[in-house]
Amino acid sequence: MGEIRKNSAVLTIILKVLLYFILIFFTVMAIYPIIWLFIQSFKTNQDYMLSNKLAPPSTWFVGNYQFVWIQVKFYNFFINSVIYATITTVIVVLLSNMAGFAFAKFNYKITKLLHGLFIVGILLTLQSILIPLFLMINAAGLFNTRLGILIPYVGLGLPMGVYLATDFVRNIPDELIESARIDGASYLNIFRSIIFPMCAPVSVTLAIVSFTGTWNEFILMNLLTAGDTLKSVPAAVGRFAGNLGSNYGRLFVSLSISLIPILIFYFIFRKQITKGVAAGAVKG
Amino acid sequence: MTTNGQKRFSYAVLVLPAVLIYLTVVAFPTIFSIILSLTNYNGGRIFGNPDIGFVGISSYIWMLTEPAGNFYRALGNNMLIVGVSVFGQIPLGFILAYILTRKLIKRGRSFFQTMIFLPYVISPVIIGVLFNVFILSQHSVYMEIVKIFNPDAVFTISKTPIAPVLVVVLWMFTGFYMIVFMAHMQRIDPSIDEAARIDGAKESQVLRYIILPSMTSEIVTCAILAISGSLRTFDLIYAMTAGGPAGQTRVLSIFMYNAAFGGAPNYPLANAISTVMVLISVVLIIVTRQVGKLFKEKDA
Repeated sequence: MGEIRKNSAVLTIILKVLLYFILIFFTVMAIYPIIWLFIQSFKTNQDYMLSNKLAPPSTWFVGNYQFVWIQVKFYNFFINSVIYATITTVIVVLLSNMAGFAFAKFNYKITKLLHGLFIVGILLTLQSILIPLFLMINAAGLFNTRLGILIPYVGLGLPMGVYLATDFVRNIPDELIESARIDGASYLNIFRSIIFPMCAPVSVTLAIVSFTGTWNEFILMNLLTAGDTLKSVPAAVGRFAGNLGSNYGRLFVSLSISLIPILIFYFIFRKQITKGVAAGAVKG
Repeated sequence: MTTNGQKRFSYAVLVLPAVLIYLTVVAFPTIFSIILSLTNYNGGRIFGNPDIGFVGISSYIWMLTEPAGNFYRALGNNMLIVGVSVFGQIPLGFILAYILTRKLIKRGRSFFQTMIFLPYVISPVIIGVLFNVFILSQHSVYMEIVKIFNPDAVFTISKTPIAPVLVVVLWMFTGFYMIVFMAHMQRIDPSIDEAARIDGAKESQVLRYIILPSMTSEIVTCAILAISGSLRTFDLIYAMTAGGPAGQTRVLSIFMYNAAFGGAPNYPLANAISTVMVLISVVLIIVTRQVGKLFKEKDA
């Protein structure tokens, strides 16, 4: 008996070690390229070319950061990104909650059709509408304008927003709305003073999904803007990869400083981000 | 205003902003793209342009029969990405989710989860540029490791240039499937698990008889996510290889983008590719609904 118990204890320990090994392996794989990038960003171009690529810099050089931030004026792209992500998020959250309330609590036949249209939009890919969108934005005279970027961003954020908001409002009891109606409140007032505040949890999830999505968006930004003044961070990275590619140190810095905000955002909101991603994925 | 009128008015006010923007930006362009794919429109004015006419499905026929077979190569690459998901990310994500959700280890679960999911939140463009330097050049980490074994090695473009792209896809999305599986495992009623434990079930039996059977619908959902994800793949490959060399790492979206916006535009071809992508999406939506219904009936 004692022998068996001892064996199974050893087995448990081996299993635990194995499980930790698996998790540590995946963790290292996931974050090593990013840590490597930050370390290499402190090498001069020459140092990077001549030194071992796996080694840290011989002297830690911050000149690349000064160059990219001040000379290339990278902060402009950050300001642009903040503007796009904030405005898109605010509008998507508001419009999604409004439509979600109407779809969930007004029994009109047309709801089924309209709601269905948004659901279809979740699985549609942006690339398949790129040409018409490009032609329309040009025809409307909105090429290379902030508005010409924000309108598509809002439209593309709505399917997921409407889906999540409608689902959430359905679970709000009808009695709340009915008793407010009896007290003489209009539907729009009910939305403003009851529904919208109650939707705070779904709004937070939605805001985070929408903010990160807009922050990372590249293809539309690349297509619908010309020059540098309106570009966001990812579009700037795409653009400078070619120009800065000849200088590895500067390229690494532009990637590193592009990563920092999203990493900070992720570490603060990781619970909500994972929740939002899971909610979006399990739409079925 | 009557109550009914007021209700209808409120409905319109609540719904119209979202519906109008959505119809303009998403629904209309989808239909517009399909119509354009049946014409010879190739830039310039659309309305009142005498050179534009309907050409039927000739763009599709050309897409499917042109001698270089670009369409099939791009579609094949999309399927390789789906394959990486189904045979790589989904099993790995499941194993990681299982270890973390079932509390098989005591310390650091939240830490591991946060780190393994991290690549997913980074902008794909940044990842593409990073891995271009990390793998695809003479001055890459990959070459540094190769040189440990063979000091004279020189970087050459791989015979299967899609392989490094697939590695990065695996790197980026394994954490995503882990999160999806975790969300589902956490929804399994804990009382079932407890009852099984009281009856003396081992962990392996819980996995086999409780967790796996409840995951079947989830695995189908993940396969659908993998297909729609591969259709969405663009930024990563655009930044990492731009579809090259010689179009060998193109997926449908890159193929479409190059046809429309890279060099001499070929809108009819690009719109035909777009329509194929829409068709695949529509099939996916129908399959998703059917699968959903099937499992609802099974549960009932």
